[in-house]
Amino acid sequence: MKKTRLKSRELFAIVVVVVGFKLADTTPAQYAQEGQNAFWLMPIISFLVIFPSFLLLMYLLKKYKDKNLIQLMMIILGRPLGTITGLVVFFIAYGLLIFDARNYADQTKLLYFPESPTPVILVIFLIVTFFGAKRGFQAIGTSTFVTLPYLKLSVFMLAVLIIQKVVWLRIFPIFGEGLGTILWEGAKRGATFSDLFIITIAYTAFKNGKTFSKGIYFGALFALFEIVFFFLLYTTLYDYNSIDKTAFPFHDITQYVNFGEFFTNVETFFMVFWLGAAFLRFIILVYLASWILGEVLYMDEFEPFILPLTFFIFPFSLLVENTILNELVWRNSLFIIATPIFILLPLILWVTAKAKGDLKKQ
Amino acid sequence: MNRLSLLLYLFCFSTLVGCYDRIELEQQSYVIAIGIDKTDEEGLVDVTFQIANPEVGSTPGGGGEGEEPKETVTLTGTDIISATTTANAFVSKELKLDHTKAIVISEELARSGEFLRVIQAATRTNQIRRGVQIIVTKEPAQEFLNNNKPKMETRPHKYYQLMLNRASEIGIIPDADVHRFFQITEGDADLFLAPYATTEIEEQKKGTTEDDYIAGNVPQQGGSSSQFMGSAVLKEGTMIDVLNGAETRIALTLDNTIELTDIYSTYKDPIKPKYRVAGSFGKKRNTEVNIDYKKNGTTKIDILVPFELEIFSVPSLVDYSRNEKNKEILRKSIEDELEENAKVLIKKSQEEYGSEPFYWSLYVRDNFKTVKEYEQADWNKKIFPTAEINIEYHLIKLEFGKAIDDTKLNEVRD
Amino acid sequence: MFPFLKSKNQTKDNNKDNSQKVLIYKEVEKNNEYIRQLFFAEKNKDFSFRTLTAKYIQKKVHIFFYSSIVNSEKIYNGIIRPLLEADGQSIKDVITIESLTEIKDFDQVVNQINSGKAVIFIDGDTTAYSIDVAEFQARGVEKPENERVVKGPKEGFTEALGVNVSLLRKRFHNHSLIAETALIGTRSKLEVSLMYVNDLVDQDILKNVRERLENISADNVSSIELLEQYIEERPYSIFPTILYTERPDYAAQFIEDGYIVLLMNNSSAALVLPATFWSFFHSSEDRYARFLFGNFTRIIRMLAFAITLLSSATYIAVTNFHSEMIPPDLLLAITSARERVPIPLFLEVIIMEVAFELIREAGIRIPNPLGPTIGIVGALILGQAAVEAGVISPIIVIVAALSGLTSFAIQNTSLNPSVRLSRFLFIFCASFFGMLSLVAALVIWVLYMSSIKSFGVPFFAPLSPHFKSRGDIYFRNVIKHEFWRPGQIKPKDKRKSN
Repeated sequence: MKKTRLKSRELFAIVVVVVGFKLADTTPAQYAQEGQNAFWLMPIISFLVIFPSFLLLMYLLKKYKDKNLIQLMMIILGRPLGTITGLVVFFIAYGLLIFDARNYADQTKLLYFPESPTPVILVIFLIVTFFGAKRGFQAIGTSTFVTLPYLKLSVFMLAVLIIQKVVWLRIFPIFGEGLGTILWEGAKRGATFSDLFIITIAYTAFKNGKTFSKGIYFGALFALFEIVFFFLLYTTLYDYNSIDKTAFPFHDITQYVNFGEFFTNVETFFMVFWLGAAFLRFIILVYLASWILGEVLYMDEFEPFILPLTFFIFPFSLLVENTILNELVWRNSLFIIATPIFILLPLILWVTAKAKGDLKKQ
Repeated sequence: MNRLSLLLYLFCFSTLVGCYDRIELEQQSYVIAIGIDKTDEEGLVDVTFQIANPEVGSTPGGGGEGEEPKETVTLTGTDIISATTTANAFVSKELKLDHTKAIVISEELARSGEFLRVIQAATRTNQIRRGVQIIVTKEPAQEFLNNNKPKMETRPHKYYQLMLNRASEIGIIPDADVHRFFQITEGDADLFLAPYATTEIEEQKKGTTEDDYIAGNVPQQGGSSSQFMGSAVLKEGTMIDVLNGAETRIALTLDNTIELTDIYSTYKDPIKPKYRVAGSFGKKRNTEVNIDYKKNGTTKIDILVPFELEIFSVPSLVDYSRNEKNKEILRKSIEDELEENAKVLIKKSQEEYGSEPFYWSLYVRDNFKTVKEYEQADWNKKIFPTAEINIEYHLIKLEFGKAIDDTKLNEVRD
Repeated sequence: MFPFLKSKNQTKDNNKDNSQKVLIYKEVEKNNEYIRQLFFAEKNKDFSFRTLTAKYIQKKVHIFFYSSIVNSEKIYNGIIRPLLEADGQSIKDVITIESLTEIKDFDQVVNQINSGKAVIFIDGDTTAYSIDVAEFQARGVEKPENERVVKGPKEGFTEALGVNVSLLRKRFHNHSLIAETALIGTRSKLEVSLMYVNDLVDQDILKNVRERLENISADNVSSIELLEQYIEERPYSIFPTILYTERPDYAAQFIEDGYIVLLMNNSSAALVLPATFWSFFHSSEDRYARFLFGNFTRIIRMLAFAITLLSSATYIAVTNFHSEMIPPDLLLAITSARERVPIPLFLEVIIMEVAFELIREAGIRIPNPLGPTIGIVGALILGQAAVEAGVISPIIVIVAALSGLTSFAIQNTSLNPSVRLSRFLFIFCASFFGMLSLVAALVIWVLYMSSIKSFGVPFFAPLSPHFKSRGDIYFRNVIKHEFWRPGQIKPKDKRKSN
């Protein structure tokens, strides 16, 4: 992949859209199932669990200059083993994508288009994804950066509106279900931040390692802050008994807020930005997934993969019977499986590289 | 050329296909208020929809001759959502609940405990917003909606919007939306207050102060036949009592989760008890609630209510503004009066209700680390009813309006 | 279909022509005959020639020119009189007019005569001489019609190349401001002037432009508007990639920053390249107005941009799919107005939008004396009467008028149609799946814009990808605080002095 003209600011935007968007999908509902009113603490745990591994990966990428995630694995682990681990990473990335696709289509249908069938909405999603991803990485980066201020402005507005209605004391009892539960369940969901690993496939598209690490670290921290802050708002707006009953807390609060007495039902306003972010997130992830597959299969041009990868999301994501099953069983299990993989992967790479003596050269 | 024609085909296709959720405005009817009543049969309720007539009062010169600004229909069904489709047997358009301003339930239904079940079903769809207000009426909701004929705000949505806002701002009825109802009911610790209203004007009882009434006995001459005053107390989704306007106001001042504007009310004149002093009560700071929780033993609850008062009328003409001694007497008397009233309400809630409508359970929570511990400690069964409660009102600022002194009436008469 | 194949054939033809160059004969009569044949002198009434005997060598001299494109006084005073009266060693001593070019073959003769020069043949000489006496008829310098400003110069480009070059030189006095000439067209060769500052312009971009000009294989490219379409990268694109401006001051601003400006005869406008979204969006007046007011105008323009693009589409999406969003008072008002309207809301909007476009089109074409009628007819028939007849609801008139009016705030003549076309695109999308498809279209639209490049410069640069620039993106800076030239066009001297 040749270099693009993108800089840290575009990467920052990409990370914020991809990772930070989790505050507005069903991730909070998943966390709340276990943590009750202390679930806002859990993303911090998840982040802490997975971040050291990520730092290790960034260290390796820096050492091996100008290699992206898959190329790095190929070099360190050798071709056959590298291909297998590469495929594992690809399947996790693609799997999460499939569940997310269903998830977003279902949310859109349930909340805004009750009469329309899910497949039709899914098709619209995929058409946009395909045409968007086809435009190439630089266009994706640029448009994410250009639209990010508007997306964040809408989220900020929502926060300002909802802050008037929250009751801060609801964060007590501080540990909700108990400290043990929070730590364990939080740690299990480290894969919430797995997108950070997937984004490292674009390492080579940026000018240098410094540009990349600056963008991804700031992006990750901002996204974490955003997620924790919004989870805190959810906790304090709902009480511990109600929080685990709402499947889409983000949309629920957009339905609750109003701009003064005249504009009482403003959820569609926020939905516009939510949809925009969802489309962008999807475009980015499909593009990265085809990139990973292209690298794993040693292809020079990976963009032809975009069409089949987008297309196959459709049948696969419709396999699951309903949203709740999709969410709470399948997506959740994939999260729990993916977490240890992403924690261990950089460790394995590091140990192998150390054993081979590659790291001493510089 | 080819690309262009392809695009044109696509456009035509898109406009023809897009019909899943597309619906024209005039094909919908907008429900403004929903009434729910108990029926004789278990599991069935009477649902009343009050539908706005867009043709009346919305455009100058528009509107059918002699049409009513609203249509009110009642039918029997299991829940609100399925009733909307049944209603199409006699309403010509699809009913939309998105613009519902209020859900009206009859006292009978509220007392039976069925209400929670009915409202729960409604929140599964997103048609009924969490911001919708709940109103409890003395008579069946159907009657209330039919009899409620405001004279000025003939368009129903305007009426509910204005009426509920104003009345809850001044604290004679609580601000009670569906969201709060669920948080309190599911939290299972506190009492929920819902506005109490009626159109049945009873024999008017002579109240002592201006807000010592409940809906139905406010002395009124002329105007609309519906009154909003006081509140229904709901415990775990079941109505147990009615508070009058004054009590509601006290409950609201003690609750920090509710915003209040300045309230005009009158207080005893300590020097000439025949008269009363009028002023506006302002709660500018939060009520301080300190709970000293003891696991085995009596929990102590200290409450301090800081408030401001601006006196604007002293009919007795006693000089309170410049005479420091009088001022002190007035201050003391007002604080005592407020404390007295609050104590009565607190006692009532401890003894009669076994829980409180002030949302104080929030303040005990930081004594617990986990939800389990908190639930075992059981606020409304074990802690609150036996707690020792001290309440103190503290007047932090006393002002006397813009006039320095009142006109001396006897001097004028000379 | 296959432009590169075609161009190959063409160049072959050209080569063949070149190999058969006809040189000028020694005998003047032979030359005379040949030229008269070449220019169909019998039929061509404005093709003129004079024969006279030059005093200084006492030989026969023939002069050929088109009488319609030369200055006849100049011919008399500068050529005929000196030839008849003056003495001297060679023709250069006799004819003292500023330009005198020697020509050897007839191809050049034809070119020179066609571009308004007089060509002199001397008996016994194999060299002909061409003298610039051209005077193409053109308007004087007038106000620009389409890009008006309140504060700022009122001169506009005119249809004469020389005047246009002079208008630009007037604004930037620098020895390295170059007006390079390129000839385009195979049948009719016309001059294109590339103007740039030599020590600022990026050589890659310049090379790119030269190549594209050379590769034009059309018979005739008669004006800059056509040239734009010959050198742009994506003819099907909904967005322009070359800035078209009628204002010399605006073009000069770009030259100062290291951009390239193309000028031609026959067009009262210049092309500026490479262009970005911002150069279309900004207007020259933004810089003439003081800091606060200039930025206030920008806010207004952004608002206008959003309204004209999305108001009708949003209206359809909201009323047809998300009626819960409308405040009840407005909702009931719209509903009651629509109760008796016989067509779906989507059609209502389309009818009004199309009607507005019709009025606009008619307004441009209508003869001047009838001008005022368009307003009366438009306002009365389409506005009031249609509402009173119950064909459309009054609120649609507001929506359509708003989106139509605000479209005039996008002053740029290239971006304006893009926005109007996109508006229709969004209207159709909104009617398909409400906000869902509207946002979908918007996302693809933005992504498409981000992928456009104009001569290698990304469309949204310098916002993203980021380049050092003077910070004139959404808002402009205080003029004194602009330190950098736009980095996306890689000027040789990045730092600006203030």
